[in-house]
Amino acid sequence: MSNETLVSVENLGVRFAVKRGGGWGKASYLYAVDDVSFEIKRGETLAIVGESGSGKTTTALAVARLVEAYQGKVNLDGTDFLSLDDEASRLARAKMQFIFQDPYSSLNPRLRAEQIVREPLDSLSTMDEAEKKEIVDRLFAEVGLRPEQQRLFPHQFSGGQRQRIGIARALATQPDLIICDEAVSALDVAVQAQILNLLRKLQADLNLTYLFISHDLGVVQHMCDSIAVMYMGRVVEHGTRMDLFNNPLHPYTSALLSAVPSVDKARREATKRILIPGDPPDPVNLPAGCRFANRCPVAQDICRSQDPALRDVKGGHKVACHLVGEDAVSPL
Amino acid sequence: MEPLLKVENLRIELTTRAGVAPVIDNLSFELGAGESISFVGESGCGKSMTALSIMGLLPEKVGRIASGSITFNGEELTTASPKRLRDIRGNDISMIFQEPMTSLNPVYTVGEQIAEVIRAHQGLSRKAAWNQAVELLDAVRIPNAKGRVSDYPFQMSGGQRQRVMIAIALACEPKILIADEPTTALDVTVQAQIFDLLNDMKRQTGASIIMITHDMGAVAEMAERMIVMYAGRKAEEGPVEQIIEHPRHPYTRGLISCVPHIMSSISQERHALTEVPGIVPSLSDFGQNRCLFASRCNMVTQKCVDERPPEKPFANGQKAACWFAEEV
Repeated sequence: MSNETLVSVENLGVRFAVKRGGGWGKASYLYAVDDVSFEIKRGETLAIVGESGSGKTTTALAVARLVEAYQGKVNLDGTDFLSLDDEASRLARAKMQFIFQDPYSSLNPRLRAEQIVREPLDSLSTMDEAEKKEIVDRLFAEVGLRPEQQRLFPHQFSGGQRQRIGIARALATQPDLIICDEAVSALDVAVQAQILNLLRKLQADLNLTYLFISHDLGVVQHMCDSIAVMYMGRVVEHGTRMDLFNNPLHPYTSALLSAVPSVDKARREATKRILIPGDPPDPVNLPAGCRFANRCPVAQDICRSQDPALRDVKGGHKVACHLVGEDAVSPL
Repeated sequence: MEPLLKVENLRIELTTRAGVAPVIDNLSFELGAGESISFVGESGCGKSMTALSIMGLLPEKVGRIASGSITFNGEELTTASPKRLRDIRGNDISMIFQEPMTSLNPVYTVGEQIAEVIRAHQGLSRKAAWNQAVELLDAVRIPNAKGRVSDYPFQMSGGQRQRVMIAIALACEPKILIADEPTTALDVTVQAQIFDLLNDMKRQTGASIIMITHDMGAVAEMAERMIVMYAGRKAEEGPVEQIIEHPRHPYTRGLISCVPHIMSSISQERHALTEVPGIVPSLSDFGQNRCLFASRCNMVTQKCVDERPPEKPFANGQKAACWFAEEV
């Protein structure tokens, strides 16, 4: 595994104008992604976890330029993807592909499987028909579909098979980065295991880099090398898989991990569930201090007045919490 | 002692375009007072159908109880009149559904929806029912219940809506609460709150809980006993701890090991997940005299294809419908 950074996202911000109260008042903004930065090394997987409304999907969409970021950079292999003009960014997409959550609505029902997989090549490459055919054949084999299934339409496949088509389509242009947005959430557990194994195998074979968006911490733990935890548009903790799961520092991360029901009796007995009461604050009128302060079991005065910055506390393990000192010990 | 709920040799047939298929095929189980059990399996295995049949809510003209019996407190439900079933539903047995958004009526306030149940079953006055609705909202830990009782469902978050559903289900202090994937649509921290709430309610009212889920972790957290369903049949039944420790049916084993669980400590190395190849058979394949899991099983023999395996009981209370249950 190389140490080369493939993707670096700097101060990414996405905001949506929302109107409150009607009338002619000034629009206020909802900062769905607020000053988010992270890096992914080539051949590795970064998972973004968080609950609904935390901004993880919007971050993924902004990285792929599927929603407009109002600030920030997305460096992919040395080029700032967000500053490219439309045509250049269209071509650069060959290096960055997406696997979507819903295998039902993300495939065109009128196209045959082979056409769906070939489409990225049609629009992004200059290959001749024979070359494309060869690639499509290879992709079908790689994702575990039979050659004769190329002629079928999406409705003739099961959910898991459709997700395989989605994966083949994402691989068609030989991308460096694949963004998986809840790629297995819609699948039954047995099928989910098949797809997760396939994604890991492809990563090893093709040296792929994944940005893996998921709310399922068990899946994340299995798939990722490092994790960014998002809460209310911010990254509140960022570290390696081992750091995050064995030594969570942010109280929100701890609460999130403790909430996952486990079949492991030892874990159930060792984990004290940290219930976080209430709901997240109104994303349009954010509180002055830490966004988690109103639900945090250990919040102090400083948490309610000052917004904590994400800082490195121990060899790359970053956390945005006033109460984590240089000793990198959880405040809980 | 007679169990609170007893289901015997239940067979439910669904009429589809392809013909009549047994979505529930010879299912028997018991539920004691104050006990919590879980039904587990992939989609299309008959978990929800079991719940609907107990509630007398099978889709009309499409689904019917072909044979078998469901007795609640000694009373036969399969032959009960619609009026009697209406009395029992909500009063003695109630249900919370998966989608807290679509199972509430969007044009009534949550208070009206809770009060409706109380008025229908207990004959309380409007005012008294409304006051009780406020108390119930408070009991399911919705802050400022007095103010929120006049809210419409859209003004609440997903977790709050599910709490309202629970308040409705618990309004008449039922003896059995059926929860069909109650937290699937919710975030994990909200799920933890809901589980916590359900466990508290169970302690206070002594109700039995039947939870339907696909999440083994949730089962381990919530239930004492579990029933694994596959293609309309019971694959395995037994105490949760024992089954997780040593499943006796290859399908149960697959369900447990195909999910990446978070263990007490995370190690650097990761193994490939155990795969259960293929998918659940379609409805038209249900009901055949063979093991329906055979096509996905790695222990399959000729016997499995020739004859449906009977349920084998084990000394620790486990039962598994597999010819090779001892060897699994």
